Amino acid sequence: MDMLRITGLRKRFGSKEVLRGLDLAVPEHSVFGFLGKNGAGKTTTMKTVLGLLRADGGEIAVNGEKVLYGQTATNRWIGYLPDVPEFYPFMTAAEYLRFCGEISGMAKADIGPRSRELLALVGLQNEKHRIRGYSRGMKQRLGIAQALLNRPKLLICDEPTSALDPVGRKEILDLLLTVREQTTVLFSTHILSDVERICTDVAFLDQGTAKIQGTLNEIRARYRSEEYLVETDSEAGLQALQTAFPALHKIGKNQLSFREKDCPAADVLRFLADQAVPLLRFERAEPSLESLFMEVVEQ
Amino acid sequence: MKALGAFLRKELMEQVRSGRLLILGILFILFGIMNPAVAKLTPRLMEMLADSMTQIGMTVFPVPVTALDAWAQFFKNIPMALIAFVLLESGVFTREYQTGTLVLSLTKGLDRPKVVIAKAAVLLALWTACYWLCAGITWGYSAYYWDNSAARHLVLSTVCWWAFGVWVLALTVLFSVMARANTGVLAGVGGAVLLCVLLGMLPTAGKYLPTRLMDGTALIYGTAEAGAYTAPLLVAAATAAACFAASIPIFNRKQL
Repeated sequence: MDMLRITGLRKRFGSKEVLRGLDLAVPEHSVFGFLGKNGAGKTTTMKTVLGLLRADGGEIAVNGEKVLYGQTATNRWIGYLPDVPEFYPFMTAAEYLRFCGEISGMAKADIGPRSRELLALVGLQNEKHRIRGYSRGMKQRLGIAQALLNRPKLLICDEPTSALDPVGRKEILDLLLTVREQTTVLFSTHILSDVERICTDVAFLDQGTAKIQGTLNEIRARYRSEEYLVETDSEAGLQALQTAFPALHKIGKNQLSFREKDCPAADVLRFLADQAVPLLRFERAEPSLESLFMEVVEQ
Repeated sequence: MKALGAFLRKELMEQVRSGRLLILGILFILFGIMNPAVAKLTPRLMEMLADSMTQIGMTVFPVPVTALDAWAQFFKNIPMALIAFVLLESGVFTREYQTGTLVLSLTKGLDRPKVVIAKAAVLLALWTACYWLCAGITWGYSAYYWDNSAARHLVLSTVCWWAFGVWVLALTVLFSVMARANTGVLAGVGGAVLLCVLLGMLPTAGKYLPTRLMDGTALIYGTAEAGAYTAPLLVAAATAAACFAASIPIFNRKQL
């Protein structure tokens, strides 16, 4: 079942059309990476899911329930962490979580233990100071705690790592990995290594639509560009290869690359065997998310 | 109800911990003490000045001071206290828009109307407490030094001014759900009150406008009839209720 399903979502700000019929399906218990350039519409999509922005068209369903603008009923399924979470600076972390528990209608007996459990999870259990003095990383961690408080079925994080230093980033990513057993995680980012580290599913947002989406393995397999790399021992072998297959292009000293569709790998292998070209390396290149991302963006 | 209670507690905690409650308390107590103090000290000041006044050819006669003078001071000073109150509290909504703190509460399933109700309730309670504290101090000192019965319609005149404050707060809430920054709130409230004052210069309109409620001095000196305040009181109550009621649907549609 899909925890979040978006169909044909449209949104414009003035003359700028940010979302042009976005379709997105986030399966239950996935860690869904929502990729896109800055300004691609990631935050707009998330805010529309939360009922904070009015959509110009299309439908959103969270846990099978339709999202209505201005109403917050579907938000009982959702935990939300904005890109720069802001809390009431005059409260302590424990007070803030109690406040959150009370406004979200949690049972009084549940709020205390759940708050302590989450504060321990995010490492803020010993923090007695008011939020006013918190660093960005601490606020981000408190943000995750408040988002998880009422055991949401869907955790939405808007660029949770982009403002953090490497240590803070690692902490947040580890946290997201830990919580995926309890919930479905949708997080937007433009940091590709974060996606490669923790995501099971991914979608690329570009020009207002999802250009590619699916599980990370599926996408890797589908876009495995059938690109091969050949490295020969000597310059002579290389030249012989290039003369026989003009589609091969040189990418380094004694290194060539080619695509399956330009010349079949079997033919190249046969040629190498027949001519007994001394070979150092023959491999199929694994597409990185970065090359995929660039490909999507450049299209 | 639980959510409303939690949000109310949060609002009160904010008033206390941000120090605004303390500032307002000190301010209204000071004003409360100042009103009778100025009335009490004026004859002494005049006496001290009498010599130098005689030198320039003016004679100063001692004037008997009564509770009326203290209450006249009260109605002269309370507008300043209200302005300070609105200045301090004008960011009660907009601060949350600008920092984004409200977004998290709303995404936790807090109903939007509860935000408006809690904030309006805290503003009203705070104004009521501060105002009657100030009036009570003035009343106490006046009763001690003079006799409050000298002032006619004292209850009505003070209630009228309190009601004017409520009307201003209703405007504050209305402009707070419309504006994004507190400058917008201040401009809106200031503009609306100014418009009312200008319209009040027309004799026919002046009888009905809430700004008429500010004229408590006429009531205590007996130059105005109590009945003349019924219409502006009703108009203020109706427009304040309309402002509060309109704030909820406007806030429901606000993009945060």
